Amino acid sequence: MKPAAIADVTANSFDSPADRGAPGSSRLVSLWTVYALTLRQHLHGKRWMVIAGMCVLCAGLVAVVRATAPDVPSVELEFDIAFMFIPQAILPLLALIYASGLVRDEQEEQTLTYLLIRPIPKWALYSLKLFATLTTAVLLVVMLTLLTYVAIYAGGGTSFREVAPRVLRAASIHSLAVVTYCCLFGLISLLTKRTLVVGILYVALFEGLLANLPFSIRLATVVYYTRLIAYRTLTFLVPLPIDPSRFNDLAAEVWQFDVKTDPGLVDHPQLHTCLIVLLAACAISTLLAAILFSQREFHVKTPEKS
Amino acid sequence: MTETSDSKPIVEFHGVSKWYGNVIGINKLTLRVPAGVTGLLGPNGAGKSTFLQLATGQLFASQGQVRVLGQSVWNNSTINRQIGLCPEQDAFYEWMTGWDFVYTSARLAGLNRPAAKDAAARTIEAVGMTRHQGRAVRGYSKGMRQRTKLAQALVHDPRVLFLDEPLTGTDPVARHDLMTIIQRLGSEGKSVVVSSHVLHEVQSLTPNIILLNHGRLVAEGNVRDIRDLIDKHPHQIVLISDEYRKLAGRILEWDDVEGVRILSREQGLMVETRQPDAFYSRLPALSLEDGLAIKEVYSDDDSLESVFKYLVNR
Amino acid sequence: MPIFDQGYQHWKGPLSSHAWRWFAITRHGVRIGFQGRVFRMVLLVSLLPAVALATALCLWGLIERQSDLVAGLVPILVSFQFLGPGVATDPKMYRVEIWTLCFNLFFSIELTLSMILIVLVGPSLISQDLRFNAFPLYLSRPMRRIDYLGGKLGVIAAFLGLAIIVPCLLTYGLGLLFTFDLTILKDTYRLLFASVAYGLVIIFVSGMLILALSSLSRSSRWVALFWLGIWLVSGFASGALEGLQVAQRQRAHFQRVAEIQTKRPADETREERRRRVEAMRADQKSRVETMQMEQMEASKTDWRPLISYTANLSRIGRQLLGTDAAWQKLSEMQPPPMRERFLAQWLGPQYPWYWSAGVLVGLFGVSAGILSLSVRSLDRLR
Repeated sequence: MKPAAIADVTANSFDSPADRGAPGSSRLVSLWTVYALTLRQHLHGKRWMVIAGMCVLCAGLVAVVRATAPDVPSVELEFDIAFMFIPQAILPLLALIYASGLVRDEQEEQTLTYLLIRPIPKWALYSLKLFATLTTAVLLVVMLTLLTYVAIYAGGGTSFREVAPRVLRAASIHSLAVVTYCCLFGLISLLTKRTLVVGILYVALFEGLLANLPFSIRLATVVYYTRLIAYRTLTFLVPLPIDPSRFNDLAAEVWQFDVKTDPGLVDHPQLHTCLIVLLAACAISTLLAAILFSQREFHVKTPEKS
Repeated sequence: MTETSDSKPIVEFHGVSKWYGNVIGINKLTLRVPAGVTGLLGPNGAGKSTFLQLATGQLFASQGQVRVLGQSVWNNSTINRQIGLCPEQDAFYEWMTGWDFVYTSARLAGLNRPAAKDAAARTIEAVGMTRHQGRAVRGYSKGMRQRTKLAQALVHDPRVLFLDEPLTGTDPVARHDLMTIIQRLGSEGKSVVVSSHVLHEVQSLTPNIILLNHGRLVAEGNVRDIRDLIDKHPHQIVLISDEYRKLAGRILEWDDVEGVRILSREQGLMVETRQPDAFYSRLPALSLEDGLAIKEVYSDDDSLESVFKYLVNR
Repeated sequence: MPIFDQGYQHWKGPLSSHAWRWFAITRHGVRIGFQGRVFRMVLLVSLLPAVALATALCLWGLIERQSDLVAGLVPILVSFQFLGPGVATDPKMYRVEIWTLCFNLFFSIELTLSMILIVLVGPSLISQDLRFNAFPLYLSRPMRRIDYLGGKLGVIAAFLGLAIIVPCLLTYGLGLLFTFDLTILKDTYRLLFASVAYGLVIIFVSGMLILALSSLSRSSRWVALFWLGIWLVSGFASGALEGLQVAQRQRAHFQRVAEIQTKRPADETREERRRRVEAMRADQKSRVETMQMEQMEASKTDWRPLISYTANLSRIGRQLLGTDAAWQKLSEMQPPPMRERFLAQWLGPQYPWYWSAGVLVGLFGVSAGILSLSVRSLDRLR
């Protein structure tokens, strides 16, 4: 067999990378494409059915209550569904659905390689994927909240002018909560493979149990701050059946805010403090996760580190 | 391999080691890959994929330094504009069409919309996938998937291409087409590193090889030069002649002949010699002077397969 | 002949029958499951309720024998109202009831732990085979779909059996040993069978459901999330609906009370007013019992717990174990005015058990249907 000829290659003089097009605009294009790609991943195929299912679930629950217990006051129904059921069951599950697979899904599908070999800094890659996830989650939460409120207040006699601010505030509170959960679970997904188990334990034990205890430990939970924000921006007063001129503060009773001795909840963080804490939690989680992501190796074929 | 003053190495490994817990993937590897088409060879588990992942910045070297086009690759996203990778794993965004996949790859590389459309169209045409570009990738055959993977590696016109087992699972037609594309890329001035364990395919692409085994560098350079340096194994040359036994007797008189084996079925001899050039130079005289007509002379020894066998199995 | 062929040789022995083909899959799945450190930890934790159950049964055995070891414990349990005074004086009379309630508590905790075990091991059972296209590897062998599904179900059965049924059997035996009374076997053997039956219900219903979910997606993460949705969200939803229903009933009750209280004649004398206020105060005491009675009556037709997956399993468990009958008997120790209150506090939802059975059978059927469509034979694979 004749030996193969060596390819006739002209000598290359390597330009500096900056010479190949304007890096600024091309960087923006890459970043935008990551964002758009992640959005498409969340919405393609049968995944929209999950979204539709979740939107319909809460509204459907309200419709069932309306059909079987028509005398329940709208405020009480709103409190139970929009501020107990949704924050404790739906929002964490939603965040787990979208944020727990932020990186792991791509790694398992082995498509992460196509992103890692692009001229996109790793920290930016993670941040944009998270941002796209937050966009999806927030849009879904807003739709879900809107549908739930329509189901609660439609045909109930309450005017649109009264309900609209409540819807806006509820949607904002839920969005803030789901954003915080997504950032936390995104970080957890980089720290452990068992994101679901850790996430559920976090929600059930940490958020579910500790948030209901009247101790300082609840300062470390997301649901405590969202409850405070809800309490300070909305009212959940239900007339007492024994004396309709008097009202029962549902939220204070269920969430264990001692309004008798501290009517203004002075001992609890103020509204702006709650917002700052939650936003800071999001920022810190995102920063830590972006740093972790940029320093980590992702093994798509060769063995994982033991 | 000798470096000319005009050709700088495209990939440099300086004392690179990479281990995964207790498993060593690459072991003190130092080499320079020149411009042009280079074959990266080795048996399964030799460290080829680890090499490519280190070179493309997906893995961080446990020890040593990896440089591509003179720059460090770990956490250096800017260099990725110059690099294209066709990974080994058969993974896609299956819900996308072929066109969508290549176009998105172009956009991820930073091309604006018109440029990305143009680049995607060109690249898809170059790999022969224009007819199927509108179908979802999940419906593609293996050959189509490999072509599409190659297209995404080429779409942003990189200077350096890393192809990890690009011909795996392809049918002969697809294989031929892909090899033609790779050869054309080389002739266009692109630097291509092709990883494979299918030796005859790499042999037809390039004589320049890097041979890895158990994470170590076994040999690098031109196949022929490597073969010449292998002192342990004498060259084997086959002579076909009607009077092969008489020929054997004559050849045995030469000092540089180490052994002769009769191949009675082929009516020939297998001659072992450590000086193949001297042996070849004496053959015409033998034929003329002694009247021993030699019908055929060939040697498999310069082939990649024999080099591989000698170096890997020793 | 002196030289023997060292190459591959066909198996000339007998092949196992079809009845055991599934076992190879089960064995493999169990081995894979045990490789997970987190799973092993959770399995270990799921055995803790069995330890507590065994402790409770052993203590009860000692109480029955009026052992000096527990002489100091009985008054404490009576003072905390864990035991009634009648139970302490003649414990054997209430043996069946105490054992039933202990087993009921064990199962209620074990049910939650089983759901967690299923989340850890169940989602990847079929989804991984879908992802990596492993169906041909199974179905190209002399293996039918039923063997494949039986093998996968066997994995769930093995782990849940290890967490539920095996501890039940062991603790039953331990309880017998600590009682030193053979009549206990006659009294409690039904409980043993009921426990095993309940364990099997949990295994088969939950196993089929998780397999069906696993066959719907190639991503085990999504399957796990579906499972969590079914388990947790259905529980929350049922709780929310029940809470609203209770609140509505309370509201209706207080409205009636308010109507009565505000109804007073215009020409009421002072003496009449005094008598009316005294009657209201006396009536106040019975209001709580009345509400609880209404709650108990309403729970007989309340469909809301049917929404919760685990509530349905619990209802079947209570029926099999005879938990409600045990509480009824223990309530007889209470003074008559307190009995209804006692039952209202401790009895669970009283809707017919066959409603829950219907829901679970329906789920089982739907799961079987999904599996039949998702796990296709070789010639129908895409």
